[in-house]
Amino acid sequence: MTTHAMRAPRGGWLAALLLALMLWAAALPLQAAERPPGSTAADQAERQAERPLNNAPVWRAVRSGEEHFTTVRGPEAGVLIQSEGNTWRQLRNGPVTLYGGWLLILVPSAILLFWLIKGTMKLHGAKTGRLMKRFSGFERFVHWGTAITFLLLAVTGLAILFGKHVLLPIIGHDGLGLLLNAGKLVHNYVGPLFGIFVVLMFFAFLRDNVWRPIDAVWIRRAGGLLDGSHVPSGRFNFGEKTWFWFGVTFLGLTVAVSGLIMDFPNLGGWTRADMQTANIVHGIGAILMLALAFGHIYMGTLGAEGAYQAMKTGYVDETWAKEHHEQWYHDIKAGKSGHP
Amino acid sequence: MGRMKFLCDAERCIECNGCVTACKNEHEVPWGVNRRRVVTMNDGVPGERSISVACMHCSDAPCMAVCPTDCFYKTEDGVVLHDKDKCIGCGYCFYACPFGAPQFPNGPAAFGARGKMDKCTFCAGGPEETGSAAEYEKYGSNRLAEGKLPLCAEMCSTKALLAGDANVVADIFRERVLRRGTGAEVWGWDAAYGGGERKREREHKREGQS
Repeated sequence: MTTHAMRAPRGGWLAALLLALMLWAAALPLQAAERPPGSTAADQAERQAERPLNNAPVWRAVRSGEEHFTTVRGPEAGVLIQSEGNTWRQLRNGPVTLYGGWLLILVPSAILLFWLIKGTMKLHGAKTGRLMKRFSGFERFVHWGTAITFLLLAVTGLAILFGKHVLLPIIGHDGLGLLLNAGKLVHNYVGPLFGIFVVLMFFAFLRDNVWRPIDAVWIRRAGGLLDGSHVPSGRFNFGEKTWFWFGVTFLGLTVAVSGLIMDFPNLGGWTRADMQTANIVHGIGAILMLALAFGHIYMGTLGAEGAYQAMKTGYVDETWAKEHHEQWYHDIKAGKSGHP
Repeated sequence: MGRMKFLCDAERCIECNGCVTACKNEHEVPWGVNRRRVVTMNDGVPGERSISVACMHCSDAPCMAVCPTDCFYKTEDGVVLHDKDKCIGCGYCFYACPFGAPQFPNGPAAFGARGKMDKCTFCAGGPEETGSAAEYEKYGSNRLAEGKLPLCAEMCSTKALLAGDANVVADIFRERVLRRGTGAEVWGWDAAYGGGERKREREHKREGQS
């Protein structure tokens, strides 16, 4: 009885809170739509009669960023002043360039330092000479398609953001102009191709990248990166899965979609504000993806012996399979598909 | 060394678009590109005001700050110009500019193939040799080099649009504002459209008070 009595008002209080939240949420768009006083046509007409020669409402309208009447045709031609451009400029020229630049210097430096200390991860056992098929032709096509388009985009994208600071002092204005004229063409035409490869990549490797209980072992032992020990895993280990989900899928799609918005300004009638947002998202996403890609490229080449051969030829030595992907090795040996 | 500026007097602009036409004709601007445009607020109702806008040749120009190829430069007159040979048509200047000044011959085209950016040069040409055919072809005529001011302002029928050295332009405008609405200097929207009637009303009131 007491509990029941206690519960009823508590439930009522919760309901009231929820209702208030909903009302507040519903009022948000209304609040946003509310114009500053004196900005409507009727207000202005009234003010004109009351206070002639006071143009304050006109200058507010100039500054508002609204579309007014103009006979000139063009994107947002009726807007007199758009203020968002300055925000975009401050973000792009500020934190994105500064912190992005430092990240892209520090990450490869850290990897280099790691390599100098730990060296390449060698196989512990001797090679058996017996090969196992690790990647199908389609998988390798998708991988290298993504890799090559990604590198082209990374190089040209870096030149667009940092060329002014890094290349200009070396190759001069004419050189940079020439380089970026070609670079922008490459970036704009290769971009959509990269987007297609990312989608193909997602479907090609989705099945093997679903998290499994065995990933817990990899996380506990940090993938054996530090102590060089064997960590059993399925076809892909947790590090590879993280790269797949966060790097390729999430960042890849983020970069592809934001890129398409800027690449096809004719399709959606995007405003400048849309493209500014897309540009900032694109820049941050691309820099993070590149920073992670450094790690992936390192592990696929210098970091682990035999990893590059796997993606190049599609085959790995049985010793390599046993040491890096033990569960997958046993699955294959047991005559299974190797997929989870 | 001057500091070139545009100023549009909203009390005088009558939205005739003469400046737009003068600019297009003087520089033979390609189709779809308008270096200058007239925007009207509250079109057709009392309190309507028009403003002619183009590149404002900012002191701290955002286009200059964001250009990936650093193709912009400022002349010693404070005019912001750009080099079309280095322009890659990325549209960043268009994102950054508060006034919507940068224009692109292809408009918002697929694959971002906008073409080389085009904008108001304050009738000061471009980086090509002054008065050359190449300069005219890319940037339009170089009136400043001939000692003339921008044609849009020169041809403005109500002298709403002023162009020239910032100090001179500011002085002219200040003078106007001081004298506006009195005596023989009466000028502006209020005088032209119904201002006289209200003035008489005010005078009547004043007479009644005394």
